[in-house]
Amino acid sequence: MARETAAPEAEVYGAGSFYHLLRDDGVQLRVCSGTPCRLRGADALLAAARRSGLAAEPCSCLAACDTAPAVLVDRVVQQGIGTAEIEVAARAGELAAQPDREVLRGAIGPEDAPDDSLAIHLHREAEFDGAALQWAGGLGAPAVIDEIEASGLQGRGGAGFPAHVKWRAVREARSLPKYVVLNADEGEPGTFKDREILLRRPDRVLEGLAIAAQTVGAGEVHLYLRGEFETPRRILQEALARFAPVLPRDLVFSFHAGDGAYVCGEETALLESIEGKRGMPRIKPPFPVEHGLWGQPTLVHNVETIACVPEIVKRGGPWFRGLGRSEPGTKLYCISGEVHRPGTYELPLGTTLDELLLAAGGMEGELRAFSPGGASSGFLPASYRSVPLDFGSLAKVGSMLGSAGVIVLSRDADLREALLDQLRFFEEESCGQCAPCRIGTRYLHEAVVGAEAETGAGPRLSRAAEVAWEMNEGSICGLGAAASKPLTSALEHFPEIFAASPGHGGAEE
Amino acid sequence: MTGALRIDGQELPIEAGDTVLSVAARAGIEIPTLCHDPRLGAAGACRSCLVEVAGEPRLSAACTRKAQEGMVVDTQCERVERHRRNLLALYLADHPAARPLSGSSELFDMADRVGAPRDWGRLESRRDQRVDPNHYVHFDAERCILCARCVRYCDEVEAVNAIALAGRGPETTIATADQRSLLDTSCELCGGCIDTCPTGAMSEKVQLLRGAVEDARLEKVRTTCGYCGVGCQVDLNVDRRAGEGGRVVKVTSPEPGSTVNDGNLCVKGRFAYDFLDHEDRLTTPLVRDAGGVLREVSWDEALDRAAEGLLAVKRRHDAHALGFVSSSRCTMEENYLVQKLARAAFGTNNCHQCAAT
Repeated sequence: MARETAAPEAEVYGAGSFYHLLRDDGVQLRVCSGTPCRLRGADALLAAARRSGLAAEPCSCLAACDTAPAVLVDRVVQQGIGTAEIEVAARAGELAAQPDREVLRGAIGPEDAPDDSLAIHLHREAEFDGAALQWAGGLGAPAVIDEIEASGLQGRGGAGFPAHVKWRAVREARSLPKYVVLNADEGEPGTFKDREILLRRPDRVLEGLAIAAQTVGAGEVHLYLRGEFETPRRILQEALARFAPVLPRDLVFSFHAGDGAYVCGEETALLESIEGKRGMPRIKPPFPVEHGLWGQPTLVHNVETIACVPEIVKRGGPWFRGLGRSEPGTKLYCISGEVHRPGTYELPLGTTLDELLLAAGGMEGELRAFSPGGASSGFLPASYRSVPLDFGSLAKVGSMLGSAGVIVLSRDADLREALLDQLRFFEEESCGQCAPCRIGTRYLHEAVVGAEAETGAGPRLSRAAEVAWEMNEGSICGLGAAASKPLTSALEHFPEIFAASPGHGGAEE
Repeated sequence: MTGALRIDGQELPIEAGDTVLSVAARAGIEIPTLCHDPRLGAAGACRSCLVEVAGEPRLSAACTRKAQEGMVVDTQCERVERHRRNLLALYLADHPAARPLSGSSELFDMADRVGAPRDWGRLESRRDQRVDPNHYVHFDAERCILCARCVRYCDEVEAVNAIALAGRGPETTIATADQRSLLDTSCELCGGCIDTCPTGAMSEKVQLLRGAVEDARLEKVRTTCGYCGVGCQVDLNVDRRAGEGGRVVKVTSPEPGSTVNDGNLCVKGRFAYDFLDHEDRLTTPLVRDAGGVLREVSWDEALDRAAEGLLAVKRRHDAHALGFVSSSRCTMEENYLVQKLARAAFGTNNCHQCAAT
């Protein structure tokens, strides 16, 4: 590649070694090591694969927690693979992705919602008439942005930033060209809603992107999908072909596949990755609206955010705002873990955990803890079950809505293991660029492991709060700032998991 | 850009291209840095220069932050100082406990200055320790804080790009393509990575093998490098207690910005100084006697002998039988004098310089 591109060899190697799907490590099979998958037998799968002589490794969340345990073969996420299948495949000496086992569509809800009650509506057939795009063209860019503002749409990738502020900033930026970028690098543990949107409503995504490009004055749209989303990518490309007749002829859509790095879901890391570099977040300011892809003004949005746009344009901002309960709009909540019908549910923003659990067929066992927004949101005890699941309310209780990847754990689950899953996840997925995150994530992980193993490293746990403070203040991006949440929340709400257990030492001093 | 901002209560003027760090530096306000090198673009990676900007929720890196009219910056508040202590404590938890052999480490100096706690324990090392067969550059991954000064130096100053950040998360390190030896890469072994490294992670192999002399014991003697005509200034680091009248144990470059070479050296200038004390080194002029044996003579005698020989050739075969070749190690003025000697004193245009073609 260095020869073809004239890029320095070391830089090519450095970029390649950043992404685990690009490493030449001979791994045949990757088993998700996220909590929902481990609750459903991922450890046994991994052990069986290794026993059978397969090169198998654990990996970070594959955005398939609803069909856990998830397994990755040839960049295709597989479901329903049991230890027996693995042993058979190993004996046959070959392991190929099986089309009938591919994770496609998971459970969704609600089933019978009227058309005007949901913004995305996963149940409805895709439409390719381009009505919203045409309507937006008639309104004109300033009026479209006013509608977005009136809708109160907040970024659905995790940060909840008001969408209209970005649209207006990119539209008003003087430098040309401008870009629109779709962030489909879904990787927050417990989150798989973007996968569902891409599979079921690619029309909403493409139309939203076209409206955004037309409104802010961008001639190119770049779609960045995580590398394991090969099927969603194919479906999106097919949808694009069907959509072509109603799209502006000079609007260019480019597809980019990720290569296995959670941090690339951070918008500036994603831009670096599109540019062919290591996915290391940039120092902000400047923000992408001013200095984005290739240094140009760029509008970056999560799949769900952009998929809300067509209906906002068609039905008006106030309509969207009215859909929400405590905050504007509906929200795709993912729920997984110990629940009967894990899946993606579009409900008013501000729905409580109990309502979500009811939509998903109820708990398996009695609720002990839940993560409302993936690993970044930490753990909350059952007593918080009536807190509205929205950006503001969860921030007030020291957690976050994030991507709304809700993971529920019962009294039978090993909470300490779940905590270690999340700490390990952040340690491995830290980009390594800045010390507060690179060293802090290791520090916290080793502190919990050390306390457990009685190696005398226990006192480190007493510094967890100070390390967490530093990660929050000193990190370059949101990953580092959120990575301490699992431990700090566990210390606050579940101090008993650090207490003495048979065969172990005492609690922290 | 013009205007002014406030740093720690002082109203300070802004010049074009200013960052918060550069404004502060002009005013003598010290903001600690590790990944900063004036020869390189700002990276904001080491996080030690974070300061508080009024009205912003997050701390901001002074080295990358553009100075803006009306900005109010605090570099000394408790939040910033707590951050510095914690940051350095984390660095030390991921670092060998002792200073490097040479004793100089910006990291340890800064930890002392900010009062970083030393009792946070030590993490398990996750980074590969490789041994590279090259003779000059040693990389100790455990001492590396990944500020990437070496990587940026190799790219932005030398345009060699032999090394890059590689791996991710706890395994992140500095590496060549495919972890090859530096000898099998574009590396020119200039040693600039060693010079810019703030922790001693990049160091001179020879110092490790011979036993480094503490920096405090070394006397720096400024001279002009003799290897080519560029005129780089070098500091011979002399250990006065060694040998007769001292011994050169290291060559370093003067501070960036102070001399023509701007802190840079090449492989010869930095590493090829062993000849100084080598037993084969010629230290006086030698002339062969009638029996063909070399004997020591004075410069006058040697020069007379050379002139005599050259004039004899001219008398017997004409001036065009003579040719003068000068060396690229000579300065421009010396090269000028050689051609003058050829043309004016001997009457031939047969003069050449080894770097001329």
